[in-house]
Amino acid sequence: MEFLAFLLTQCLNALSQASLLFFLAVGLTLIFGIMRIVNFAHGAFFMLGAYVAYTAVHLSGSFWLALVLAPLAVGAVGAAFELGILRRLYRRDGSAFLMVTFGLTLVLGEAIRLAWGVAALPVPAPQPLSGIVFILGEPFPIYRLFLIGAGCVVALGMWQFLERSRLGLLIRATSQNAEMVHALGTDVRLVRSCVFGIGCGLAGIGGVFAAPLVTASLGMAPNAIIDTFVIVIIGGMGSFLGSVVGALLVAFVQVFGTYYFPDLALALMYIVMVIVLVARPGGLLGKES
Amino acid sequence: MALLELDGLSCRFGGLLAVDRVSMRVAEGEVRAVIGPNGAGKSTLFHLITGLVKPTGGTVRFAGENLTGLPADRICRRGLSRTFQLTSLFPEMTARENARLAAQARQKRCWQPWGGSPLFGAALRHADAALEQLGLTDVAHQTAGLLSHGDQRLLEVAMALAQQPRLLLLDEPTQGLSVEETALAVETLGALFSDGAMTVLLVEHDMEVVFRLARTITVLHRGAVIADGAPEAVRADAAVQTAYLGGFD
Amino acid sequence: MIARRAISFAVPLLALVLAPFALPPYAATLLTEALILGLFAMSLDLMVGYARLISFGHAGAYGLGAYASGWLLLHAGLPMLLAIPAAMLITGIVAIGIAWVCTLATGVSFSMLTLAVAQLLYSVAFKWTSVTGASDGLAGIPRTPGPFGIAVFGGRMGFYYLVLACLLGALVLCRAVVRSPFGAVLRGIRENEAKTLALGYNTRRYKIAVVVLAYALGGLAGALYAPFAGFANTELLFWLLSGQALIMVIIGGTGTLVGPILGAVFFMLVQQELSSYTDSWALAFGLIFIGFVLFAPQGIWGLAASRFRRGT
Repeated sequence: MEFLAFLLTQCLNALSQASLLFFLAVGLTLIFGIMRIVNFAHGAFFMLGAYVAYTAVHLSGSFWLALVLAPLAVGAVGAAFELGILRRLYRRDGSAFLMVTFGLTLVLGEAIRLAWGVAALPVPAPQPLSGIVFILGEPFPIYRLFLIGAGCVVALGMWQFLERSRLGLLIRATSQNAEMVHALGTDVRLVRSCVFGIGCGLAGIGGVFAAPLVTASLGMAPNAIIDTFVIVIIGGMGSFLGSVVGALLVAFVQVFGTYYFPDLALALMYIVMVIVLVARPGGLLGKES
Repeated sequence: MALLELDGLSCRFGGLLAVDRVSMRVAEGEVRAVIGPNGAGKSTLFHLITGLVKPTGGTVRFAGENLTGLPADRICRRGLSRTFQLTSLFPEMTARENARLAAQARQKRCWQPWGGSPLFGAALRHADAALEQLGLTDVAHQTAGLLSHGDQRLLEVAMALAQQPRLLLLDEPTQGLSVEETALAVETLGALFSDGAMTVLLVEHDMEVVFRLARTITVLHRGAVIADGAPEAVRADAAVQTAYLGGFD
Repeated sequence: MIARRAISFAVPLLALVLAPFALPPYAATLLTEALILGLFAMSLDLMVGYARLISFGHAGAYGLGAYASGWLLLHAGLPMLLAIPAAMLITGIVAIGIAWVCTLATGVSFSMLTLAVAQLLYSVAFKWTSVTGASDGLAGIPRTPGPFGIAVFGGRMGFYYLVLACLLGALVLCRAVVRSPFGAVLRGIRENEAKTLALGYNTRRYKIAVVVLAYALGGLAGALYAPFAGFANTELLFWLLSGQALIMVIIGGTGTLVGPILGAVFFMLVQQELSSYTDSWALAFGLIFIGFVLFAPQGIWGLAASRFRRGT
């Protein structure tokens, strides 16, 4: 019975972790699907979301407000960056994108350091969610259950958005054949800016959700982008379903791996990434190889 | 023994059989054209022979040696040089530097990280000779990316020649060339291939070019060989005419 | 023409050789650090500028070299003149494994792997307390004299000339490599890897070789830093340092070897000047970096060179 309780709580742990990772991965894969670029600054936007959440919670006392405000703010920064800077680079080769988004990571990192300081900033979970429940006798934080729910809601919502809505249709069409979409009269550049903004906004939401768990700190960015990249490689660049599958896989590996091999915990992700890159350079469900 | 022997060579991509049990014998000094309608698998066949794609069945033997499944660079080092359907060059180097890099690959210690004067000198001799054979000496010092399309395609052939290959594979060398450029290319290549001086495998769409340059023709349709032999026989073959929907004339 | 080029090398060289006599001690020390960073940046340029292998984890090489030389000097009692080359060798050997792993992928995946490896080294440094001293690092690293009692490199001026010699030696080596047949193949890989492979070159081996060389030289820079500063800690493996190295390469000018050295000097100058006025100098630097990527990808050296050419 004890083992069952342990197994169940660890699985729930993994699912909540998968939710967090999913927010990051779906944004990155969306951006890649449309723009064929890897947004290296994705981890920095995630970090920005966490810090904006901190301020929003401190000013208004409401976590829910932060949940609405942060993605909008982060998405706006992302869209502005795309409009102002990324647009100029579409004719250049891929390394320019990599450099520029890397530069953005540094700039955002420094900006955050200047605005909020170097100390890690705790963000309290909203009141009704800050307690624990007992699952088969084991204590489990309600907030993590909430995360699982939130992840499912966002995943379903995104799926419906991509399948049913007009913008979703445009996005899918543009990822397959941008020229045709352009020929049919849509301003592809606008679609790109929207997608970049949405992708960054999703990273921002991830940051808000993550903040009560990990506290907002400057070290979030590089680890976030590495984790996200591993997921997107596993699931396939540009594949929505892949980001779900990848997030689940990575989360379970992280949670169970850390438990059974605590010393290997940090190396685990990199080993997984290497194995995946060797086995399938195109990811498991990838469109690009 | 033929120089190149393909036995039941196949390549399957998921549900699609791109190359279907192709068998072929190319003798030394032979100039053979591989033709067929679009999507017949001609370029894929080249990729299988040169190692860019791994076959799912069959074998490739070159000078008696089994090359099946080896990586592209190793196969090239055995003496097969190719050009690509979509021009592939080093755009920021001069034509001469392009050819030199190609020739360098055949030199001993081509990888050495020091000096290089004698090595470069030897490579340049082969490069200059190849450029002259293709009539590119005048543009040797121009940046490759800025050359005319016709000159670029000829440069690719020159690069392959600079490697002094035992088997030359040309993938649609006249594609995208104007009428004048095509005539010039045919004349140049015809002179190079005369009297069994070179063993060549040639993919082409332009039938005029095929009949001017090739001694034997293999026809592919949906990945499989449907005819094989001298030009006149192939021309008259009923299956070939059907495949092309209406014959050649 | 040749005379002009000779002068453009001889003058800065002379300036560097005479610098310690002309500059106040504080400035000379800064110049020493700038040259060490210059070596670090130049080693990265070998990968980035000549093979288009963009690494976000070059701090891994720096940190490896620093910890290796620091440990050899502090715990193994080796003299500096042995510890530094040994550390470079160790870095190069580890780099073979790193390069083998990273070159399994290309493009963005390659870059991500380099970052991941550096992050891995960073976390190992934290955990391997017995060897690395965890977050405290190694402190009190001596500039041990010897062998044969050679102590001249221990002092401030002597150490400067040691660094200068290493930098110049590395520069000469890199120039030779880049102009060799090996370098020609690297250029081919940079411009069209698929074609280079089709010509019969085992491109993976060339990439591994250039990464190992880049790491070895980056390790040399780190190995010099440890006795220079007297300490080695996890900051030397931090991803921001990898970023700064990339900035130095871009701003200085990729594919020029000398450009990144200039970039490093420029970086140190700006850091020194700006940091006394404002806390946001790193932010400004990030913006300058983005500006260069957008508008002047050839970097300072490239701009100067084209100015020079137009003037000739």
